[in-house]
Amino acid sequence: MRRGRTRISAPPRSSPRAGERTLRSRLLLLLPTRTYRADAFVDAATRLDVNLTVASEYPSSLADQNPSGLLTLDFADPERAADQAAGFHRHYPIDAVFAVDDDTTIVAAHVARRIGLAYPGIQAVEEARDKARQRRRLAGAEVPIPAFREVLLDEVDAGRIEPPPCLPCVVKPVALSGSRGVIRADHRDGFRRAVQRSAAIIRAACGGRPAPGTALLVEEYIPGVEYAVEGLLIGGTLHVLTIFDKPDPLEGPFFEETIYLTPTGADDAVVRSVRCSVEEAARALGLTEGPIHAEVRVNERGAWLIELAARPIGGKCGRILRFGTDGNRSLEEILLAHALGRLAGPPVREAVSRGVMMLPTPGAGVFRGIEGRDRALAVEGIEDMVVTVPRGERVVPLPEAARYLGFLFARGRGPGEVEERLRRGWAQLRVVVEG
Amino acid sequence: MPQVTIVPGPIQGTRCTFTADGPLESVPGSYRCVEDAAGVPLAQAVLAVPGVAAVEIAERAFTVERRDDVPWERIEEPLRYAVTAALERQEAPTGPGWSGELDDDAMYDLIAEVFDQEINPSVASHGGKVELIDVQEGVVTVRMLGGCQGCGMASVTLKQGIEGSLRRRVPGLQGIEDVTDHAAGTNPYFSASKK
Repeated sequence: MRRGRTRISAPPRSSPRAGERTLRSRLLLLLPTRTYRADAFVDAATRLDVNLTVASEYPSSLADQNPSGLLTLDFADPERAADQAAGFHRHYPIDAVFAVDDDTTIVAAHVARRIGLAYPGIQAVEEARDKARQRRRLAGAEVPIPAFREVLLDEVDAGRIEPPPCLPCVVKPVALSGSRGVIRADHRDGFRRAVQRSAAIIRAACGGRPAPGTALLVEEYIPGVEYAVEGLLIGGTLHVLTIFDKPDPLEGPFFEETIYLTPTGADDAVVRSVRCSVEEAARALGLTEGPIHAEVRVNERGAWLIELAARPIGGKCGRILRFGTDGNRSLEEILLAHALGRLAGPPVREAVSRGVMMLPTPGAGVFRGIEGRDRALAVEGIEDMVVTVPRGERVVPLPEAARYLGFLFARGRGPGEVEERLRRGWAQLRVVVEG
Repeated sequence: MPQVTIVPGPIQGTRCTFTADGPLESVPGSYRCVEDAAGVPLAQAVLAVPGVAAVEIAERAFTVERRDDVPWERIEEPLRYAVTAALERQEAPTGPGWSGELDDDAMYDLIAEVFDQEINPSVASHGGKVELIDVQEGVVTVRMLGGCQGCGMASVTLKQGIEGSLRRRVPGLQGIEDVTDHAAGTNPYFSASKK
């Protein structure tokens, strides 16, 4: 006799008794198809021995072969994505959800609310995602941030834009990342050009059809030294996983990130002020759990929160963060363990200096490759070089650039030595772009 | 037809009890080998999963005992597949994968069949292809081509798609290794980019 459908559910939600363990939990990982970090997160989930379901915005070619492990969600419509996830949850109960980038944090918040999982609230992640809304919230909470105003794309089109009273200023899209579309303007004409160019980048990023009400942010240029902060919120407490030094000055007109070094060489007072700035911002936004990545500038007037995102560091930069005394746990493993409620305590970074260089794109044209890889890898302390653009594809430099060319990784006895090794490694490379 | 839901209980050493919300319609008893379980598809199916040492079947529950040297994570997915097949069709899963452990040559042949019939027709929809290179001591080596080479989601295809599929069909699979030079891919289906 044949019977109806058989369903083998996940283990009960109650905690196992001492000495017991349940069968594996199911983690829903929201992984957009443009991610740089599929390998890192899939490896981390494997090491954590979870039942992994990868959800993306486009179907996997093998979705039919593994319906419990591969899922398609409408990332562009978080409510619909939550409905889809809830349907999946009825057959394959989900124990935790994790989002790897800005857009998917909003989807994750909707999914978590629908299913009843732990995740920051929808309003908190939406305000973190939108730089203008974030600015308004932080200003209301009196967190030190640059003075700012919003300019609608419609106003740009109509030519109704006046520069701010104090220049220089910085023009930036409210929802792009990686310094894309961010331009410094020093005078009135430069301001108009910067606004037009940033607006064109926004239009290009959304296929020429920006949503009504799309705006640019025009904000005060804050001189000073910039730091990046990687943190993990646990029960409302910020655990700083690391503060990155950025030894190359970021003064504009474009803000190309190059070298990140950890640990920071900043003195204790600067570290405290950076930490305090990020804590205040996270609190003001209502973020209490999960990863955050923030940029903070420090000058003689104090620490200024430039941006905070409710997600981990982008690109492949997370590779330089290792945890535990022997450095055997990756950033992704720490973050997924936290999402699953398996993190025993605040993670401690290994006692090794590491750095990464995001390889700059020298000019617009067709990318033909990067020469000198073997010579770069022969430099002491250089651990790896990864190219992330396929040969033959067209590349452009910032502020239009939408992708990283590649990454160079190094380690050393201190941040100074790591920086020197990265620069020596970079000197061995030649990026070939044919105009 | 009624649906039956089976809930695994906590693992206690090498044993785990699965409770059903309806009758299992199997002959209750304790079984330690496939031959003992003749005529009891659920027991046959569970015992055919590599690493399972014994199964005890009651009216609405069954307890699986694993071998000491095989972790639960290697058993879990094949077990789900086997139990589902047994209860829905009242027959143990069949095919070369369910007759016991496979040597590397037999495993290669079985995997080649899965690649030809399931994996490659599917990845072809993304312009991709996966080449089976070798099987050594249960570890499968593959190379990804076309749209899979350099694809930002290649690791998801490999671990969630290919490995997941093989683990349900190929007993004794120890792992899967990708030897693709992804940096040389010129036409990946998905490319990484900033938002």
